[in-house]
Amino acid sequence: MESSLLPSGIAEAHAAFPGALEACGDLDSLLRLKGAYIGREASHAARLMQILKDAPKEQKRDLGAEINALKNQWEEGLKARQAVLEAQKKSRSAAGVGLDPDLPPPMPGRGSLNPLVRLMDRLVDVFRPLGFHVEEGPEVETEEHNFDGLNIPADHSARGSSDTFYFDRHPDLLLRTHTSPVQVRTLKRVAPHLEQMGGVRFLAPGRVYRKDEIDPTHSPMFHQVEGLLIGHGIGMHHLKGSLAYAMRALFGAGTSVRFRPSYFPFVEPGCEMDVRCPLCGGQGCRVCKGSGWVEILGAGLVHPNVLRFAGIDPAVWSGFAFGMGIERIAMMVSQTPDLRLFFENDQRFLGAMGGLD
Amino acid sequence: MLIERAALCQELPALEDIPPQALCELLAALGFPVDALEERDGALILDVDITPNRGDAMSHRGLARDLAAKLMVELLPMPDPRVDEGVEPLIPVLLDNPACSIYATAVLELGPAQFTPEDIQAFLRSMGSTPKNLAPVDASNELLHRYGQPTHAFDADRLVGGIIVRWARAGECLVTLDGIERKLDAQDLVIADESGPVALAGVMGGEATKVTEATRRVLLESASFDAKTIRLTARRHNLHTDASHRFGRGADPAMAKPGRDLLLRRIENWAGAKVEGVWSAGRLHERTATVVLPKDLLQRIGGEALSLAEASERLQRLGCRVGTEPGLLHVTPPTWRHDLAIPEDLAEEVLRLRGYDRIPTALPPLEGPPLPLSPDYLHARRTATRLAHQGFHQTVTFGFTGATEDGPATSTPTEGRTLGNPLGLEFAVMRGSLLPSLKSAALANLRQGVGQAKLFEIAPVYASAPAGPQETRTLCAVWGGTVGGRDPYSPARPVSEADLRGIALDLGAPPDQVRIRDLGEGLFGFEIAMTCLPATPDRIIPAFRPFSRFPAVERDLSLMVEVDANYPSLKQAMADRLNPLAGSSLRDLRCVDVFRHKSLPAGKQAWLMRLGFQHSDRTLTGEEVDSWMAAALEAARSQGAELRG
Repeated sequence: MESSLLPSGIAEAHAAFPGALEACGDLDSLLRLKGAYIGREASHAARLMQILKDAPKEQKRDLGAEINALKNQWEEGLKARQAVLEAQKKSRSAAGVGLDPDLPPPMPGRGSLNPLVRLMDRLVDVFRPLGFHVEEGPEVETEEHNFDGLNIPADHSARGSSDTFYFDRHPDLLLRTHTSPVQVRTLKRVAPHLEQMGGVRFLAPGRVYRKDEIDPTHSPMFHQVEGLLIGHGIGMHHLKGSLAYAMRALFGAGTSVRFRPSYFPFVEPGCEMDVRCPLCGGQGCRVCKGSGWVEILGAGLVHPNVLRFAGIDPAVWSGFAFGMGIERIAMMVSQTPDLRLFFENDQRFLGAMGGLD
Repeated sequence: MLIERAALCQELPALEDIPPQALCELLAALGFPVDALEERDGALILDVDITPNRGDAMSHRGLARDLAAKLMVELLPMPDPRVDEGVEPLIPVLLDNPACSIYATAVLELGPAQFTPEDIQAFLRSMGSTPKNLAPVDASNELLHRYGQPTHAFDADRLVGGIIVRWARAGECLVTLDGIERKLDAQDLVIADESGPVALAGVMGGEATKVTEATRRVLLESASFDAKTIRLTARRHNLHTDASHRFGRGADPAMAKPGRDLLLRRIENWAGAKVEGVWSAGRLHERTATVVLPKDLLQRIGGEALSLAEASERLQRLGCRVGTEPGLLHVTPPTWRHDLAIPEDLAEEVLRLRGYDRIPTALPPLEGPPLPLSPDYLHARRTATRLAHQGFHQTVTFGFTGATEDGPATSTPTEGRTLGNPLGLEFAVMRGSLLPSLKSAALANLRQGVGQAKLFEIAPVYASAPAGPQETRTLCAVWGGTVGGRDPYSPARPVSEADLRGIALDLGAPPDQVRIRDLGEGLFGFEIAMTCLPATPDRIIPAFRPFSRFPAVERDLSLMVEVDANYPSLKQAMADRLNPLAGSSLRDLRCVDVFRHKSLPAGKQAWLMRLGFQHSDRTLTGEEVDSWMAAALEAARSQGAELRG
């Protein structure tokens, strides 16, 4: 207490308060201390109220605030000590005795974000600096979005009921087999505004379905992250630069990548990207089947038919797209031996493989 | 597809100097990754992955052609066993369908003895097939793997009359070589004689006309079939053969006659056969369409100043005919490259042969401002993070479930969100609730002996609607088992409904929309649409709202109430009474303790109500707080409560 407005006796009483509080070994003595400090009559608090009452009007405001602060500290201290003494009285357990720092402390429960979700979110974070945002679409899709708009021929085997789930009452509806229909939806939506937006670039993370029996490497539901960038004069060099950056951001600065030609109906040219096997560093192991490389994603320059379908002129706009299977990457980086573990939801697995960020 | 290294070298001797691992890298760089490399009976065999657009590469010759173009060396020339066709067909062949453009054939009389050369038998074994020691069969098989042209030999004496290539007719059946009787579809292309279908065109021959040891005369078939027709037939009959794979991906139509000739010569040599007649029906349609490759498109795709001269050289090595004009190339692809149809296809070929590793790298320039992350995405992500920090584990469960599991948990009909072709009944319905999935995951965890199961998921649930299943992104959390008991400070107790309600309210869920379900076995759960949870506010820091710096007063009121007393109505009654008196000075009103004990009168319990008061711009007096407490007690009494002495 620095104030000159309060009598010295009060300051001394305040200084003595913590010691006096600690000295109270039982509830009775605490009650006496309470009476002496904040009791209605003849307590320090009562004296203070009297002082306040007698104080000149212009001092009342500051004095009142000071007195309140003092009273609050006393009240809180008394309350806390009372809780300790009551707990002691209730039981002689450690909770009451407390304070042995070697005993196991109560720990906040630790949960986890799903490893697959974390990986998808991490990809969003990785692509964010390149200006990508997130687009999401429904899981129940039309053939138009899932196949037609992606230059997939009408007789393509992926459209068959042995590959794709269809709805019985709505034979025109299906469960999307990849996150690529989000491309079609988004391109159609932004097509009229593409010039003023300066192109578009986004990721589409999500769940997809294919008619595969459940086994150690297959699941009828899994996750993909799709990426798409549309701009002026986009070529394979942009695809390579962006994906090489992303893989280094994801797997570490020393990660090397390679691109191989491949084929997907919705891109031309098409490619697949491998990264140096993160397990053996390229020496050859079980994960990379001895090749030193593991396949990470499929990509390519957006096929002109995909742009045309969405109402975008391929003579003006070009872009690249890529898609990756999240479980595949998760299994590879964690060396999880069986895909089914990701869908069992055993808390031991989730706690160990997931994280909080 | 299996490739024997030695047979590949027979087409392209330059490969002999390339070690196997390097050959694999070379193939991968061309777009043909090698899945496996193994040595079998002294032969090195590669399992090569061929993308579905490259029917032309599905043979040793085809792969060698690409490798030669890549390495800029020459392929060995194809053998040219040109056989002269006779003037008159021995038996008539009628092409009654545009799906077969050319049908080259011959009839041979086999000699008294036949053999398949040892090296051919070894090659066939490398290809994973068993030599039959029947010259027509083994030779046909060898040609398929070596040159990619599927051919077939019929037992000519078992054919009745002429040959016709036509659609199958309703009701027609064919027993294929695998011994299975197949009901034919009107969209199936068949080879028929006067008695009916004898082969499923481009897919598989018929059992009745197959070549056996007893066969004396054979009729050869080397044709070109429409890729789509063959694909559909193969899929319809779930009959995927070496032949259907090649025709289905587009075999070279120009190979029909050379294929017949090669087959004929082999049978002559291996079976001492005598040619009775050689002829063909239909003709090869020369492809004349050219594709224009502009220089700026090539350079935009390649990311550097590629020259048209180099592009022209590369494309010619692939068999294209190239005409030049300033700033562009006129390219006519070879008969085997039906996949080269647009300029982008040609640009890819140039880059592929140069090597994708030579393409420069660059970051695409930003042409406009990046868009913000969507509120829905951020909301889900933040909600998940928050629950994870509160000890919940995020699950991933399938979107479909069984009707028996889903039905009781949802109010909307499962009709309209049921799959027509599910993996099984337990995966047939797009779920209307996440609770059954999370319940089963939580119970599995509890049975595994975890102290508490604490799970959540954010995923769509589906409701039937006239236009199809409607998705609502939903949060579901379940919690059960025992809390505490893991340290001296936290006594063990079962998880309660209230624990989970606290979680829901903490997320900002409106109390009237939080319904905690008792899922049995000590497990509780709730689910709520993400749109019912407050979204992230737009402002980073909300507008300032003043708070009181005057002392707060806390008073307790111990009430004796019936054990089945209604807390919300008691609380409401007290608040209604206090509001006109204390106004905004009433800051808090809640039950902080429940006491049930035999010392209380039967049927009674005690609620410790805590009331908090604070005035925004002055210190409250003891008198006014006393009067409010009295009013609160009076209100409680009106609800049947009494002051506990």
